Amino acid sequence: MIFTRKALPRRTFLKGMGTAVALPFLDAMIPAAANAQSSAIAAKPVRMAFVYVPNGIDMRHWNPGYEGELAELPRTLQPLVPFKKDITLLGNLTHNTGRALLDGAGDHGRCAGSYLTGVQVKKTVVDIKASVSCDQLVANEIGKYTRFPSLEVGLEDARQAGDCDSGYSCAYTNNLAWRSETQPLPPILDPRSLFDRLFGEDAALSPQARAQKNKYRKSILDFISEDTRALQGSLGPTDKRKLDQYLGSIRDIELQIEKAEKDNAQIDPHMEKPYGIPQDFAEHFKLMTDMITVAFQADLTRVVTFLVTREGTSRAYRELGISDGHHPLTHHRNQIELMDKVAEINLYHVQQFAKWVETLKASQEPGGSILDNSMIVYGAGLSDGNAHLHHDLPTLIAGRGGNFIKPGRRIVFRKETPMCNLFLTMMDRMGCRMEHFGDATGHLTGLDLG
Amino acid sequence: MKSARLFVAVTAALLLWTGFPTMPVAGQGPEDFAKSVSPMLTGTCAQCHNDRVASGGLSVASLNSSTSVVQHREEWEKILRRVQAGEMPPSGVAKPSDTAVRAFTNAIQAELDRADAAIKPDPGRVTARRLNRNEYSNTIRDLLGVDFRAEKYFPTDDSGDGFDNIGEILTVSPVLMEKYLNAAERIARWAISTELPPKPIVDEYHQRDRKIRRVDPSTVEAVHRVEFAGDYTVRFGLPGERAPDGKPVTLNLWMDGKLLTSKQIETKPSGLVYFDPYSEEEVKIYLPVGDHVFRAGFTNDDFVKSLPSGDLYNNKKNKFLNSIVFIGPFASTVEKESRKRVLLCNPESGRACVERILSTLARRAYRRPVTARETSALVRFVDMAKADGHSTERGLELAIQAMLVSPNFLFRIEHDANPTDPAQVHPISEIELASRLSYFLWSSMPDDVLLGLAESGKLREPGTLRREVARMLADPRSGALSSNFAGQWLETRNLDVAEPDPKKFPEWNPELRDAMKTETTMFFEYILKENRSITEFLDANYTFLNERLAKFYGVEGVAGPQFRRVELTAGQAAEQRGGVLSQASVLTVSSYANRTSPVIRGKYVLSNILGTPPPPPPPDVPNLDEATVGTTGSIRQQLEKHRADATCASCHSRMDPLGFGLENYDAIGRWRTRDGNFAVDSSGTLPDGRTFASPKEMRAILTSQLPQFSRTLIEKMMTYGLGRGLKNYDRRTVDNINRTLAAEGYRFQTLIQQIAESLPFQSRRGEEVAATP
Repeated sequence: MIFTRKALPRRTFLKGMGTAVALPFLDAMIPAAANAQSSAIAAKPVRMAFVYVPNGIDMRHWNPGYEGELAELPRTLQPLVPFKKDITLLGNLTHNTGRALLDGAGDHGRCAGSYLTGVQVKKTVVDIKASVSCDQLVANEIGKYTRFPSLEVGLEDARQAGDCDSGYSCAYTNNLAWRSETQPLPPILDPRSLFDRLFGEDAALSPQARAQKNKYRKSILDFISEDTRALQGSLGPTDKRKLDQYLGSIRDIELQIEKAEKDNAQIDPHMEKPYGIPQDFAEHFKLMTDMITVAFQADLTRVVTFLVTREGTSRAYRELGISDGHHPLTHHRNQIELMDKVAEINLYHVQQFAKWVETLKASQEPGGSILDNSMIVYGAGLSDGNAHLHHDLPTLIAGRGGNFIKPGRRIVFRKETPMCNLFLTMMDRMGCRMEHFGDATGHLTGLDLG
Repeated sequence: MKSARLFVAVTAALLLWTGFPTMPVAGQGPEDFAKSVSPMLTGTCAQCHNDRVASGGLSVASLNSSTSVVQHREEWEKILRRVQAGEMPPSGVAKPSDTAVRAFTNAIQAELDRADAAIKPDPGRVTARRLNRNEYSNTIRDLLGVDFRAEKYFPTDDSGDGFDNIGEILTVSPVLMEKYLNAAERIARWAISTELPPKPIVDEYHQRDRKIRRVDPSTVEAVHRVEFAGDYTVRFGLPGERAPDGKPVTLNLWMDGKLLTSKQIETKPSGLVYFDPYSEEEVKIYLPVGDHVFRAGFTNDDFVKSLPSGDLYNNKKNKFLNSIVFIGPFASTVEKESRKRVLLCNPESGRACVERILSTLARRAYRRPVTARETSALVRFVDMAKADGHSTERGLELAIQAMLVSPNFLFRIEHDANPTDPAQVHPISEIELASRLSYFLWSSMPDDVLLGLAESGKLREPGTLRREVARMLADPRSGALSSNFAGQWLETRNLDVAEPDPKKFPEWNPELRDAMKTETTMFFEYILKENRSITEFLDANYTFLNERLAKFYGVEGVAGPQFRRVELTAGQAAEQRGGVLSQASVLTVSSYANRTSPVIRGKYVLSNILGTPPPPPPPDVPNLDEATVGTTGSIRQQLEKHRADATCASCHSRMDPLGFGLENYDAIGRWRTRDGNFAVDSSGTLPDGRTFASPKEMRAILTSQLPQFSRTLIEKMMTYGLGRGLKNYDRRTVDNINRTLAAEGYRFQTLIQQIAESLPFQSRRGEEVAATP
């Protein structure tokens, strides 16, 4: 991704946020570091993203009544009609670890915690415990090729006092990605922060100034690593773990600086720096996904988790004329009037998602569009939010994962097929080969067959 | 010498725990149990709680012996609480006499106490705590005199046990680490640098761009970051004009609640012909670096009160504020507060001065004495900067950056001689104690007085701790207790994200929200600072109101925007208001956006006031359908239907009545007598048969359960103060404090003093290391 501001075409990208004009592909955008690796993985990026929506989906308007090639789409999926040939609907995927088993109430906390980690999370509000999520396993494996091993993004402020769901810590519902079994990765909510992180706060600095800044940063990191090691000798195991987390984070940043030095230039995002969190939900969604698109395009990262809103959220969708909270509405006890409101919200989310799919599809690179070279999973940790069902989870994939998936179909798997089978398969495609993940019983077959 | 003092301290700490001389530990365990517990257990409890029915998941069949109290402690603690609270036995079951019930609870209590007395007191162990966002901001303020709002830069801190300062939960992620580095750069620059940008910068906050917040018709607010200290021109945009006889008003500018400047301005037509009347006013003023909240408004503006709301922003009828523009910085003669604080000598004068500056600052940043080695590691940054051709001050900035991302700054770490020996109970050092105190009471670092006492080993001298706690509570920094402790205990922090349905509650606006928040803040701080009895949280004959909130409550005779103590002794105010459960802040956060929920409010009272939170609903039970309330039946009728189901009833018979008692308050806390088409009925019957007919009567019942409330408050405050969830072994501390509190009239400061003196606050032990299988 070596390109300087000067060398960049002056076409504006996403200026004014109204239209999405793709950044023209430059050869220079293929990372130099990657060339050195000269592996297929490095050179031809495939991206993986998870878009999570909470409180289940009204399945009446999600599942078409057929298998095979996509024809008429149900109401909630209507916004994706123009992209029928780019999506794959998956049926019967189940997250058994979201179920109560012996842990009692708390389906929202549990399903969110287990969604990408594939384990039954510990029911606690204090000593949280899940497992490394599949996106992070991939990031560990291929993160070295990009400036950011992964990005965590969300739209809903997590400020909340009190317990989040029946004895499950808010950490389970506030986060999708888990770096270790005790370390969730909080999503970035503010478009401005995401901008700064992706493109650098010092996009305006001269190369010399930037080099000096990196040098100072590195000596500060050395200084604190030393401080940390000096402390660690006299600590108990839990405190030691805390400082290990801290030390691990320092190392991550050291790597980032090294990578940035190699790349030797800043990315010009060609969009205005956002002011902050916009009031309008759709605008917020668009800003975040626009930036993810640029990040994919410039190969800043290949792994993204996007927590649209928190599991169990009571956000009221006034923009749709719905003043009841999302979560209370999903406990509709099969009253049509309330179910329709839930479906409205589901549709609204898919509308926003469809706009992102459109942007990805319009962004060209060698071998097709960014969408072609991506696997964007859109889904929820519950199917029926009223009864808290964990089977036949609403799941769709946008993109082909670089000739890996043959989209345009609905595939219905055998009942109770673990969701982790999908994740294991995707991890494999991303270059992270694992024997086991969560409760996976094997790989999904048939994604690539017509 | 030092170890002798330590020994005295240990002994003193342990002495608190060697028994309960005033406690009625009567009789022998087994006999007592057989006499006072068994009959009721088999005769009353076992009717439902037997192996066959196991109502509520409990069977007492295996609990009929004094030894079972220890073996099945959790069950027994629950039983004790429910019986003490009068919730068991429930109405409908023949009730034993009050004397028998008291003998029953006393015997169990004595059994638990006896068991506790037999084991060695356990202070537990607090995990190293990372500063949370509030603590970070406050510490930067007190360390450098720089206003940095961490909530604008750092991700949300996760919370556990109801608070966001729990060591176990506060994690570090690479994103956070990166933010720490960026923040340290910015803060160090803010603190030291005098560089100004080559040209002044314009920052505009305009209503059009939704960048300002309208507080009320006369007032606007903008959150603005001042990157460079200096003089600024602050310009106010004022569209519109008033009638020719429009009176002048006073335009004020506040920063972070402090009045910066004010000027008289005209509101009548200028005499020039405008289609679009508009004028600007300017002030020139010094602004310190940092994230600040600027507020501009007219104070003596009676005119807008007489204006119909449709005309408020009509530029032919009114003149109003709609933008604030900052232009600057311009060079100023004012020296930064932070430079005065940090630069104790001229850093260009040589190495001795640089060392003095850095060692002084590091001691405060690390909240402990620093070694010569640590100082010289920091001085190296100055050397490095100078080698690159920078000034000494630039080098100091780098050293400050390093300090601010050091684990010694970001974490509060306490040490043990033997960190993996749980049997080794030892008092924490006085230095560690100083930080525990300051982060408990101030959510910030110790000041020089406190740290000085600790360093000289005087903090544990007789009376000193008590005096220090009193001094710290009197200090304005103790406001952190109301924003961080009370804000989470009473959940009023959620007011910031509350969004009542504007269709149903058109009067809801930022001004009203702020007023609600201020009432609860001032009320809490009054009880704290005046050392009142905590019973006033439940019912008080006063509160704090301004005109806006007084009107909302229907209380007469309060004029003007400033808050003051208002007596609630006469008329409807005495009926309707008194204590936190009648405050609009609490009533709003315990409601849905568009309606009240007796279930949520009942759960709120059980969890936050009575300390007996209901268990989560069993799986596969659909939530109550409250959505049709007000159309097909009152919420009460619906809930009563719901309670007809025995599974639901076991908890809802506790929750719902407490929520019903608050039904006279709507979802934003306004008094009402009707809800939709139905008359409000705020009567209720508690599981033990006690009844009430109004919120006031319910308050009286809660007040009569003062020991139970005080126990809840102790538990919440201890969790917050220790930064860890409470464990079984903490019960003794809680009981003890509760007894002392009762003996000393339930004064709030006593509660805090007692926690500060308690074993878990004063001591720690090694960690149990689970044997690897």
